[in-house]
Amino acid sequence: MAGMSSKRLQKELVKIQGTLPPGISLVSAPDLKEWQMDISVLDNPLYPPADKYRLRFTFSPSYPIEAPEVVFLAAPDRNIPMHPHIYSNGIICLDLLDSQGWSPVHNVESVCISIQSMLASNTKAERPPGDKEFVRSNRQRPRDINFLYHDPTV
Amino acid sequence: MKVTINSFKAVATWKWDLPEESDDTCGICRVNFEGTCSKCKFPGDDCPIIVGECRHCFHMHCISDWISSDASQGKCPMCRQPFREKMADHPPRTPAVAATPRTPTTAAT
Repeated sequence: MAGMSSKRLQKELVKIQGTLPPGISLVSAPDLKEWQMDISVLDNPLYPPADKYRLRFTFSPSYPIEAPEVVFLAAPDRNIPMHPHIYSNGIICLDLLDSQGWSPVHNVESVCISIQSMLASNTKAERPPGDKEFVRSNRQRPRDINFLYHDPTV
Repeated sequence: MKVTINSFKAVATWKWDLPEESDDTCGICRVNFEGTCSKCKFPGDDCPIIVGECRHCFHMHCISDWISSDASQGKCPMCRQPFREKMADHPPRTPAVAATPRTPTTAAT
């Protein structure tokens, strides 16, 4: 299966190094295992357009059959965006990233667009219920967590 | 004047016979259907295309990897309908061949 993720990611990388939609940029792709992307939100007062948020994509050798792991990273100039589906440790609760919602026709660009639009449509500057407890106790990898979708309308 | 063709070199191209509105690349591996999936070396009959009842097409090896993963729940990656191979008017396994003779060597007598 090793060939599957590398060939597909090489194709994606060529495209991403060309053009990306507004507010999405490639930060680093040192290998075909872990990439970082920056996203900004263009028209939501909760997220000033000048603020950038960093995403880390981690690919298994069976990508795209298996979903990538996608989390927000905190850095000196990068915060974890406030959102009712984003925990303060960067873990994102989004259906297309878990094994029930993933499809191999998704790609790095389409995942970035989905996360960008999830932020763009948000109206609540708050963390998910139980954020503190989750961040303190969670030792699972994001894809192994069974999220409860408290409010699927957000 | 009589022309006798002594020999010619034939050049042929082939294309899968896919539904008209079909994409030209496999949504899973992003390779052209006339190319191979990410595991194969030789395109054509060794790396065939499957058309679903939903008319979405994939390399057979790509869609079978997906369908055999737990995450797929047997659904088409494009439309999430249960993925079933379309049996009626299935694309012929022998690719349609359009032969065009080129650079004929002619000898005039």
